[in-house]
Amino acid sequence: MSAFTLEDLFRIMRECAGEEEAVDLSSAAAEQEFSLLGYDSLALMEAISRVERGYGIQLPEETLAEALTPAAFVDVVNAELAGATPAVEAAG
Amino acid sequence: MTAGRPLPVALLLPGQGSQHPRMAAGLYGHEPVFTAAMDEFFDAAGPEGGALREDWLAERPATDMDHVTRSQPLLFAVDHALGRLVLSWGVRPAALLGHSIGELASATLAGVFGRRDATGLVLDRVRRLAGAPPGGMLAVAASTAEVAPHLHGDVVVGAVNAPRQTVLAGPDGPLDEVGRALREAGFTCRRVPSLSAFHSPVLEPACRGAAERFAAVDRHAPSLPVHSAYTAAVLTRSDIDDPLFWARQPVAPVLFWPALEGLLATGDHLLVEVGPGQGLSQVARRHPAVRRGTSAVVSLLPARPGPPEADRAALEAAVARIRAAGHPVTRTAAAPDPEEHPVTTA
Repeated sequence: MSAFTLEDLFRIMRECAGEEEAVDLSSAAAEQEFSLLGYDSLALMEAISRVERGYGIQLPEETLAEALTPAAFVDVVNAELAGATPAVEAAG
Repeated sequence: MTAGRPLPVALLLPGQGSQHPRMAAGLYGHEPVFTAAMDEFFDAAGPEGGALREDWLAERPATDMDHVTRSQPLLFAVDHALGRLVLSWGVRPAALLGHSIGELASATLAGVFGRRDATGLVLDRVRRLAGAPPGGMLAVAASTAEVAPHLHGDVVVGAVNAPRQTVLAGPDGPLDEVGRALREAGFTCRRVPSLSAFHSPVLEPACRGAAERFAAVDRHAPSLPVHSAYTAAVLTRSDIDDPLFWARQPVAPVLFWPALEGLLATGDHLLVEVGPGQGLSQVARRHPAVRRGTSAVVSLLPARPGPPEADRAALEAAVARIRAAGHPVTRTAAAPDPEEHPVTTA
C-alpha cells in the first residue's frame, strides 16, 4: 500500500499548472518523462514544494534529480514517507 | 482519428530563454536548407556576421549567449532557418506563432519583411537594447492574478506562458526584491536566462527611434497566417502597417498562452516547435486540446543541449512524427528559393 499515489501526483501537477480542464492522464503517463507531459522544471519545482509541505517531508534533491517520470517520483516520495521517523524537525 | 485529412501544421517559434551555446548547430553543415539560411543571415549581418557565427558555433562563446547581442539575433536566425527547413519539406503551415523575438522570425518567414531587411532590423534592435539598463526575467509558477499584488516599480508581467507560468521582467534590484517576496509567499520562482529586462518599461527609452527603422522597410501581406503573441490574435494589416507595433515589441508583454488558445480555438493543429529547446512544446502540452489528444506537439530539437548528433536524431524523429501525422515530407538537397538572389540597389 502506497501512501502517495500516482493520482495524488497528477492532481498536484494539474494544480501547479493551473489546468482547468481535468483531462485524466493515462496510466502510460506514469512512465513518460515529465517534459513530455508538459511539465517543465518550474512546474516540477512547484510540485516538489507542494508535496514537501503537504506531507511534511524533505525530498532528497539528488534522488529527485534522477526521477524523470511520475512513477519514479512517486517512489522517491514513498521511500521518504516510509523512512520518515516521527521527525524531530528544526523549528522554522 | 483523422483518416483522410491530416492535422494542419502550426509552427511555434521560441524566444528569449530558449537560447543555449551551439543551439541547433548539429544541423549546420548537415541540413543544406538550414545551413544556407544561417549563412545568408551571417552574410546579411555584415561586419558583425563573423563574430555571431563564431560565437554560435563555440562551446564557450566569447560573448555570453544570454547577452542580448547574442541571444536575440541567433534565436531569430535559428528559428527562421528551421522554419525555412520545414517549408522546404513541402509542409505548408496553417499558422505561425512566435514568442518574443520569435514573432519577428515568423513574420519574416511569412514574407512580411524581406530577409535582409529583417536581419538589419534585428541588429538595430539589438544595438539599441545593448545600451539599456541591466535587468532580468523571473519565471513564477503562478497566475498573473497571483503575482499582481507583489509587483511594483518597473517590475511587470513580461510574458504569460501558461495559466500558472508567468514571467516577470524588471531591473535587477527590484526584480530580486519581488522574487524574495514571492518566495516568502510560497511561490516557486526561477530566473530566465536573460541579462535584459525584456518586455518591460526598462527597455522603453532604448526602443525610441526603432519605429523609424521599421517604417523605412517594405512590408508585405503575409503568405502564411501569423498569429501575434502581442495581440493574441491573427496579425492584421494595420498591425503590419504600424511601425510602433513592431518597434515596441521588446517593451510589450508576450501573451503566448492567450495566443495559443486563440490559435487552437480555430481548430486542432499539429504544433511543431521550430527553435532551440522544447519550452513552447512543454507549455503547449498542457493545453486541453493536446491533453485530449486531438492536437499534438512535435519538437524539432532536443529538450536539453547535447552533442551535435542529438540535434540530428531529434530532427529525424520529428520528421518521422510529421510523416506519421499524414504530411508527406520531401527532403531536398538544396532549396529552390525565389529570394535567393535579392535585387540589390546599392
